[in-house]
Amino acid sequence: MKKYFQTKVKTRLFGLMLFILVTGFTGFAQSVNVTGTVKDETGEAVPGATVVVKGTQTGTVTDLDGNFTIEAAPGVILVVSFIGYSPQEITVQSGLTVYTISMVASMSALSEVVVVGYGSQIKKEVTGAIKSISGDELRDMPVSTIAQKLQGRFAGVQINQTTGQPGRGMQVRIRGQLSVTGGSEPLYVVDGFPITGDINSINPDEIDDITVLKDAASTSLYGSRAANGVVLITTKKGKTGQTNVNLNVFTGFQKVPQRGRLEMMNAEEFAQFKKEYYEDASRPVPSIFQDPSIYRDDTNDWYDALLETAPISSYNLTLTSNKERVNTSVVAGVFNQKGVVVNTDFKRFSLRLNTDYQLSDKVNIGVNVAPNYVFDNTPRSDGDRGTGIIFNALHTWPVMPIRNESGELTLFNRFPAETGNIFAYPNWVRSAQELTNETTRLNLLATTYIEWKPIKGLSLKSTFNVELNNARFFFSNPSTATSAINQAIPTIAASIRETSNSISWLNENIATYRNSINDHNFEVLGGLANQRFRLDQYRLQADTYADDRILTTQSAININRGGTFNNVQEWGLTSVFSRFTYNYKSKYLFTASARADGSSRFGVNNRWGVFPSTSVGWVLSDEGFLQGNKTISFLKLRSSYGIVGNNNIGNYTQYALVNNTVNVAFGNTITPGAAVTSLDNPNLGWETTAQFDVGFDLAFLDDRISFTYDYFVKNTTNLLFAVQIPQESGFTNFNDNIGEIKFWGHEFSINATPTKGAFRWNINANLSINRNKVMALADGIDRVYGSFHITQVGQQFGQFYGLQKLGNYANAEDLANSPIIPGRSTVGSIKLADVNGDGVLTFGGDRDDRTIIGNPFPDFTYGITNNFNYKNWDMSIIGSGSQGQDVYMRHLYSTANLDGVFNMVRKAGDRFRSPENPGAGIFGTTVGGGNVTGIERDWPNSNFVWDASFFTIRNITLGYTVTKLPKAIKSVRLYASAQNVIVFTNYWGGQNPEVSMQGNGQGDGGNLSPGIDLGPFPVPRTITFGANINF
Amino acid sequence: MKKYNILLLSLVMAFSSCDDFLTITPETQLSSVTFFKTENDFAQAVNAAYAPLRGYYNSQAWLLGELHSDNTFYMRNVLFGAVENSENLADFSVPVSNGTTPNANVLNAWRQLYLIIARTNQVLGTIDAVEFNEASKSNIKGQALFLRSFAYFHLVRYFGKVPLHVTPVPGREGAALPLSEEPAVFDQIIQDLTEAVPLLPQKAQQLPGRVTQGAARTLLADAFIYLKRWPEAEQILGPVISSGEYSLMPSYNMAFSKNSSNKNNAESVFEVQYREGPEGLQGSFLYQQLPYPLTVNEVRSLFGTTNPQPLDGQGNNIPTPDIIAAYEDGDLREDASIAYIEVSGRPGPNKLTPIIRKFQDAHAQHNNHGINWPVYRYSEVLLLMAEALNEQGKSGEAASLINQVRSRAGLGSSNASGQSPMREAIFKERRVELAFENKRWFDIMRTGRIQEIIVPYGQRIVANPLAYYFPPIPGAIPRSNVFTNLDKFYAYPAAESDLSPFF
Repeated sequence: MKKYFQTKVKTRLFGLMLFILVTGFTGFAQSVNVTGTVKDETGEAVPGATVVVKGTQTGTVTDLDGNFTIEAAPGVILVVSFIGYSPQEITVQSGLTVYTISMVASMSALSEVVVVGYGSQIKKEVTGAIKSISGDELRDMPVSTIAQKLQGRFAGVQINQTTGQPGRGMQVRIRGQLSVTGGSEPLYVVDGFPITGDINSINPDEIDDITVLKDAASTSLYGSRAANGVVLITTKKGKTGQTNVNLNVFTGFQKVPQRGRLEMMNAEEFAQFKKEYYEDASRPVPSIFQDPSIYRDDTNDWYDALLETAPISSYNLTLTSNKERVNTSVVAGVFNQKGVVVNTDFKRFSLRLNTDYQLSDKVNIGVNVAPNYVFDNTPRSDGDRGTGIIFNALHTWPVMPIRNESGELTLFNRFPAETGNIFAYPNWVRSAQELTNETTRLNLLATTYIEWKPIKGLSLKSTFNVELNNARFFFSNPSTATSAINQAIPTIAASIRETSNSISWLNENIATYRNSINDHNFEVLGGLANQRFRLDQYRLQADTYADDRILTTQSAININRGGTFNNVQEWGLTSVFSRFTYNYKSKYLFTASARADGSSRFGVNNRWGVFPSTSVGWVLSDEGFLQGNKTISFLKLRSSYGIVGNNNIGNYTQYALVNNTVNVAFGNTITPGAAVTSLDNPNLGWETTAQFDVGFDLAFLDDRISFTYDYFVKNTTNLLFAVQIPQESGFTNFNDNIGEIKFWGHEFSINATPTKGAFRWNINANLSINRNKVMALADGIDRVYGSFHITQVGQQFGQFYGLQKLGNYANAEDLANSPIIPGRSTVGSIKLADVNGDGVLTFGGDRDDRTIIGNPFPDFTYGITNNFNYKNWDMSIIGSGSQGQDVYMRHLYSTANLDGVFNMVRKAGDRFRSPENPGAGIFGTTVGGGNVTGIERDWPNSNFVWDASFFTIRNITLGYTVTKLPKAIKSVRLYASAQNVIVFTNYWGGQNPEVSMQGNGQGDGGNLSPGIDLGPFPVPRTITFGANINF
Repeated sequence: MKKYNILLLSLVMAFSSCDDFLTITPETQLSSVTFFKTENDFAQAVNAAYAPLRGYYNSQAWLLGELHSDNTFYMRNVLFGAVENSENLADFSVPVSNGTTPNANVLNAWRQLYLIIARTNQVLGTIDAVEFNEASKSNIKGQALFLRSFAYFHLVRYFGKVPLHVTPVPGREGAALPLSEEPAVFDQIIQDLTEAVPLLPQKAQQLPGRVTQGAARTLLADAFIYLKRWPEAEQILGPVISSGEYSLMPSYNMAFSKNSSNKNNAESVFEVQYREGPEGLQGSFLYQQLPYPLTVNEVRSLFGTTNPQPLDGQGNNIPTPDIIAAYEDGDLREDASIAYIEVSGRPGPNKLTPIIRKFQDAHAQHNNHGINWPVYRYSEVLLLMAEALNEQGKSGEAASLINQVRSRAGLGSSNASGQSPMREAIFKERRVELAFENKRWFDIMRTGRIQEIIVPYGQRIVANPLAYYFPPIPGAIPRSNVFTNLDKFYAYPAAESDLSPFF
């Protein structure tokens, strides 16, 4: 104990010295100008290295030649640091004013501090499965969302871009976690504040660090919201002793490559198809299809007509300063992206002001304020036939003119009934141009804290955080445009106006005590939190406008009652949490934590949930038997177990609701009616996930190669599920916590530096394997059907389900000797597997022949990042891929409708026409009309299911750092960046193999039914040029 | 220490109102905890029990009761698939497996009717515990009892044995009940209606469109007639005729509701109420009961709407040659009931196509009209009474009733005499008087004449598809399985069977 007190006294003295220094007693001792040069192992100058007087915030940065000048008194220690190198310390000697400092690369950076929930930890001592990436590593990618930047970067984090709509459609799944009906997106925590708004409204340039928490031990402090994993985002702060001004600018363009597009028939091919269609049916060929060659130079590519080359640009100005007692950073950004589909716009104006202020030695306060404004307009590009303009355009006859003779866009096209044209097609280009579908969002994220450190090691911190989101949505179609098929023009002009205001506030009070006694290091944390959320939404839908130029509500003849309403969503969350972290000599590591959450979402009988976890680690490389080992430089084993929850079960799901808009008319008088529309469940609760993780971190050759492996197994129980009940009850379902899903997987990451020195190459790769199995559903329910999917006990989640295609009936003999659909199957029609062996092919019912026909989940996913540096040049190549998953090419029900009602995929040209001319085997005969062709089209079958394995080169960036610069400029880096460079895949259903229709809950496109392709907004290739300037 | 105290105080404050903080009920909707407390709650609740009638009559009742008979058929459009749900009903090929069928119309009818039952059960199960004006309470109970029996009377005739729910379902337990035998279902219907009759006001005292005592008596008489309990039918129906509250409208076409006028007229005993407009109370059945495709101009000339849209798909409820032939010469009802229009998109040379005229009326907005659907008209009351009397051997009294109906149709007195010819005359009169009002299938099945009528009807269609609106296109002929399911009852809906352990 004596020693302890001595240390304490010394520290206090030292602190006093610092205090004097900091408060500007520059006369203390005789400060002199010290100059020096910082070099790396090869003798190259290190520009941008930080030089700080130890224990103070006084410092400077080296210039391009590695030189620095700093005022320091003899005896003072200077700390020189630079990313990727171990910090070096030198003591200023009396009389010696010129120094040369040689930096030593430190690849492991195990002494790095990583952000964890409610604090930070030394990387070496981390016992959970977490991974972080710095904002710098993400800066060059010309994309609108953070998730796009993270694709392929983390093992165990699968990120799919399901649509190319700017700012949208990113689907993030950590460790394959899925709920049946609840949300499956991770919890995003920005500067300690779990946000409720859209993560994509945050300017990626504001981000200093992103940490992904994967296992239960890392996430359990987020309790009932942690089961989907947690993403911690830390925004920029000033670096010690520095003032930096940075301008990062890029501009470029986006384009949809020809390669990979869904190949549809051109006008000549389509006319040929139609001609053959009528000939094969022994019917007269309509005059317009009698000579297909007349269309040779006269095709209309409706899909291509919707696309354009679109500009993208971004401007970010960052100022950081950390001097005296004030640490400030300001990030101002403008991001402006046009979409590759006409009339698509995405703009973001953002500002962030982060300030920490040291009131005294014991009290700190901080305020982060970040307002931003996001504008987004996308024509109704995505969706099923009749709602999505792109799908509509894909299957519109290429013989229909986009423009009339005078070059104007046609209004709509309809051919005479004898041509087989049964749908009128509005002009989709006009629809895209004239429909308004815009959202403007004004968001404010503010986090504040006050921290008091009454005694050494103890911190009492109180935070108050507010998030305000205002969103305005406006949809309108004038009478000349619609996204619906078969609507005559003029159509009914209609509009939807929607305003949402939400406020979320959080107060947290946290006490942390940290101490080391001998080699026993521990930290105890306890906290209380209250969070409350309220959303107020107003929606007004009106139609039948007299004049397309004024689509304001008062000009509408009808207010659409069904689409006009108020919505209020509210929840409250009260929590108590605690964590105990202990290690002995940083070698034997232990953490235990728990959170209790009381939530307004949980039924009155089940209001509080407790979520505990524990984890252990053992740094073997610190043991005698490995110390000094030449090969293995670091080895840590770790394991964790914990229970976390998912509270995304809806706000009022527990209550029996009375719908008081079930109105009736008596005579012509409207009379109010009210009906109970749901059943209550006072026992309703969270979804529970118990997760076990074991892994190790291993590094070789002075940490030049490091490797991380994790195995996890999770059991999710009490899944929120709307259990279907017989409707003789008057209700459709009962919301209950049911079932069990098991998830498990392996994650591998490797980081290596094959070459160092002048040519430096760093490679970072990861591979993840995720599996799941449904262990149980509700009593008496062993399967849940979607339109194209099944979720069944004993199988993986959401498997494609339908009939297995064997081919087409080759000839009369084949037809006679095979199971058929009585009255429907003919020679050349689709031949399906008689799975139950009853001799008859049946869809649904007791004699169902459906079976699992595909898996939307990959065998494994992987990512690879290469960084190269040579003198002033730098280059990075980032790629990621996914292997073994299938996509359900749903659009084929129209784009391969053998009745010739729509334009067809080019492959349908090579279809079955006769036993002598059986075609490629993919598509069957057109003869026999809907009774025959309807089987292939309307019965979900394996002909819709195609492998969608892919590898995408996400980004290639080439940069050059300019050396000869005026004095005011510290550094300039010029770069060119290409995003979505190339996709390697055999998938032919469209240019985006990551596609997945977005739906809700138990419906199509929800969690139970992923991987449906309806032909969404294409993902463009983006080429940009940028400059990164430091002042 | 002072700082500690402030901190502690703020913590205590934050947690002191924990339960309030965590009790958040929905602001935009009522919950059952606070509902069913006042007269107004019950008034609204019984109103909501009428609501499913709109959907049921708009989309299912005519498919199950009229298309599934020899009165109407579909007009085959070979460009369209996925139309088997209506085709199977029209050509008697409803697929059955283990007593269940995937037919969506059968399923939806089941669901709509049970929705009425659940809503009336909510009212009837809670109303006695709440004190309020007795007259209002009687009226509400009477309406609820009528609506519940109405739904069961349809169910028992569609399915035979059905689950008999007479109390609100509390949760997942009790959502499914065993099938009750037909007599038990009828006992409940008769008990409910017998209770309802004295509770309900006469038509003059009731808000037009709501259930009246006359409606309850007519429904009960219809049930008695189904059960061949003729004297009871006569007895319960007598006051409807003698009340003087009802009369035949001067002309047949005036008997039917217009888009916004002539609703609940003197002939109307009970009709399903629709209202044109954006409030969601409209009907669209006119648009479903048409031959397709129709061009914009053809649609406009039919309805005079301001925003006509072309109609595609496969049209249903096209009057058959059989019903057209069923009208006697000079029957004014034929022209009032059936019209002929040019369908330019119809393949082949013959474009002239019959459509149902009796419900047609001009309206403003496409696919949105306010024409009420006639469930019981006074002319049916007369025919029901005629049947009840004739079956008791009083054919003479029956003749005077049937002749009232015939006279309005411009026809002379029936020349039927004697019980058996009068029975046949009433059966035929019902067919033409009540054509397209969803009575035909029930008349055929309750009189045991399915084989006698439907089998030759099917043979006519197979022999001459062109006469039954099949297009002159190779291969466009009736499917091989038509007229293979002539069961009296529909099979249970498969989707409900999947969820119930009892069928």
